[in-house]
Amino acid sequence: MVVSKKTELKEGDVLLKLEDVHMFFGKVCALSGVNLEIRKGEIHSVIGPNGAGKTVMMNIINGLYRPQRGEVFYKGEKINHLKPYKRSELGISRTFQKVEVFGGLSVLDNIRLGRHIHYRSGIFSGSCYLGKTKKEEIEHRKFIEEEIIDLLEIEHIRHKPTGMLPYGLQKRVELGRALAMEPELLILDEPLAGLNLEEVEDMARFILDINEEERWKVTCLLVEHDMGVVMDLSDRVLVLNFGNTITDDTPEAVQKNQDVVNAYLGEEDLYSTRR
Amino acid sequence: MSSTFLPCGKYHEKYSQDHSWWQTTFIKGKMIALFAVVLILIPNVANDYWLSIFNILGYTILGALGVQLLIGYCGQLTLGHGAFIAIGAYISSTLLVAFPWPQSFHDMGIAYPISIVIACIASGFWSVLFGLPSARVKGFYLILTTMAAHFITYKFILEQCAVSFTEKGNNFSIPYNHTKLGPWLVDSISDVYYLMIIFVVISTVILANLIRSRVGRAWIAIRDNDISAEVMGINIVKYKLLAFFVAGFIAGLAGVLVVINAHMFNIEYFEWFLSLWLVGIILIGGVGSIHGVIFGSIFMVIVMELLQTGVDYLSYDIPELLQQYQWHYLAAKLTNLSTAFNYIRESVFGLLICVFLIFEPHGMAYRWQQIKNYFNLWPFSY
Ligand SMILES: Nc1ncnc2c1ncn2[C@@H]1O[C@H](COP(=O)(O)OP(=O)(O)O)[C@@H](O)[C@H]1O
Ligand SMILES: [Mg+2]
Repeated sequence: MVVSKKTELKEGDVLLKLEDVHMFFGKVCALSGVNLEIRKGEIHSVIGPNGAGKTVMMNIINGLYRPQRGEVFYKGEKINHLKPYKRSELGISRTFQKVEVFGGLSVLDNIRLGRHIHYRSGIFSGSCYLGKTKKEEIEHRKFIEEEIIDLLEIEHIRHKPTGMLPYGLQKRVELGRALAMEPELLILDEPLAGLNLEEVEDMARFILDINEEERWKVTCLLVEHDMGVVMDLSDRVLVLNFGNTITDDTPEAVQKNQDVVNAYLGEEDLYSTRR
Repeated sequence: MSSTFLPCGKYHEKYSQDHSWWQTTFIKGKMIALFAVVLILIPNVANDYWLSIFNILGYTILGALGVQLLIGYCGQLTLGHGAFIAIGAYISSTLLVAFPWPQSFHDMGIAYPISIVIACIASGFWSVLFGLPSARVKGFYLILTTMAAHFITYKFILEQCAVSFTEKGNNFSIPYNHTKLGPWLVDSISDVYYLMIIFVVISTVILANLIRSRVGRAWIAIRDNDISAEVMGINIVKYKLLAFFVAGFIAGLAGVLVVINAHMFNIEYFEWFLSLWLVGIILIGGVGSIHGVIFGSIFMVIVMELLQTGVDYLSYDIPELLQQYQWHYLAAKLTNLSTAFNYIRESVFGLLICVFLIFEPHGMAYRWQQIKNYFNLWPFSY
């Protein structure tokens, strides 16, 4: 069973589905029976206290972890057995909670690496660097400059080694790298954590652009603690607590949900918006 | 490429300019001058002794290129690279002298190129074989599996088995009229020099091109962060093994040169110290840089040569002088120095590594970059 990249979905069709996913680390139960449906075109957020299992869920979606029980479907087909690099070929891309950029490479090269699956040259054409490779390097450079670097406003640092940049810019480069893949589903694991107010506003704007602009229309799965941003941006919000789903609903309904209020009672300061 | 600043007032107008190696006319001129020196000046001026030093430099560069690819670009620590040089040397020479080629193959100069190609492919796959554990283990553990490569190759295959493979065994000379590449009989030391230049230039160009295109970026991504590399769509096992193959292939070329420079195959050259030596070269030259390979190799080969000359002088020329003045005791002491040279070599090597790690931890290539940038920006350093 091969999932074809070309399967076209309409807006609102289920793009990714988790069915009864369980994940244990020894005796620790990180996820117990989580269900999730992400529809094409939406921003679907996941919230929950630290250790709720949000990152584990993201790792299961892009294949870094294998769930002990439960199914992962992408465009209606089971992808449990696929390795992470195969899933990226299907159009799943992500950023990490702690930035995981390629520190020794320039910003440009980081973004080029995000396009790895779109480059074609191999060991022979690459070693000659003529015709095909040369042409493709220029085409992709054009794409990166015009689509990614422009969008994320990182013109001034394109040749800088990424490891030397301040944290906020590294997060932005990581977003650029994930976006360069031209994914259909973009997983954003706490993209705002550790940013200052101005950077938070920029980043929130980028996420909205990526989701809404005709050019991109990327479905986003967003893990975030900043309630203000989550409630503003999301089409749906899933609330996790110790590996259990509390609710999965529209932002308005979630805010009114008594269980959520209970779970977060006394933690307002932690989860209140920064704005 | 982009890590070098352009002189003030110069800008690129096309992406292709920013992607090219030699970005200004000045640099192009400099490279042409370098080629003129290497291809015309050196072979005409240098004597056979110096040419053979250049040949040693050549295969040192080739060996170190492979180590640089594995350690510096792909992050796969290896301490067994000498094994793949040995396999290249052994297979190319054994095939040439022990395989029953028809005489016409020797006459037309086909036997030698075929042996070379087979040897390089074989050492490429031999390297992949010992790279397989890299799919599972990282860092320190990989050092051990690659060291195993060396001991299996040297102690088991070359020392024990090679004797029974062919009657030539593991210590034999290469007949002079056999090393024919098509119409070109690679015979004199200057022929070997040209062959060495061809191998070094081709390998360097290939590696440099790979590094700036898709495959090389995948290698560097694996080095910097293998988890996000995999998430970005890189099949990391495939690319690691590809790195081992390319490194092994280039090591095979180095092995071919080792043999032809001495016109013999001798297993003593491939002691484990060779593997360590190659890693030392990239530490001194600079990890993750092709310039580093070249600087490191030049530095080490020349330092060792000077050391050898110095010790020779002390242990032969000066004792003779002393004999004339009847200072027999001192003369005998000095003569003993020549036997101690092996140890001096290793101690100096260790000492140099320590000195570089303390005072120049980024290696010579980094300093070179700094100096270049300084002059490119001079006199306005902003
Ligand atoms: N690789 C792992 N090994 C063992 N336990 C893990 C691992 N990854 C996550 N966990 C555990 O799973 C739980 C959920 O973690 P995580 O998903 O990172 O939380 P968060 O919702 O803050 O992202 C935590 O209790 C954590 O200790
Ligand atoms: Mg987390």
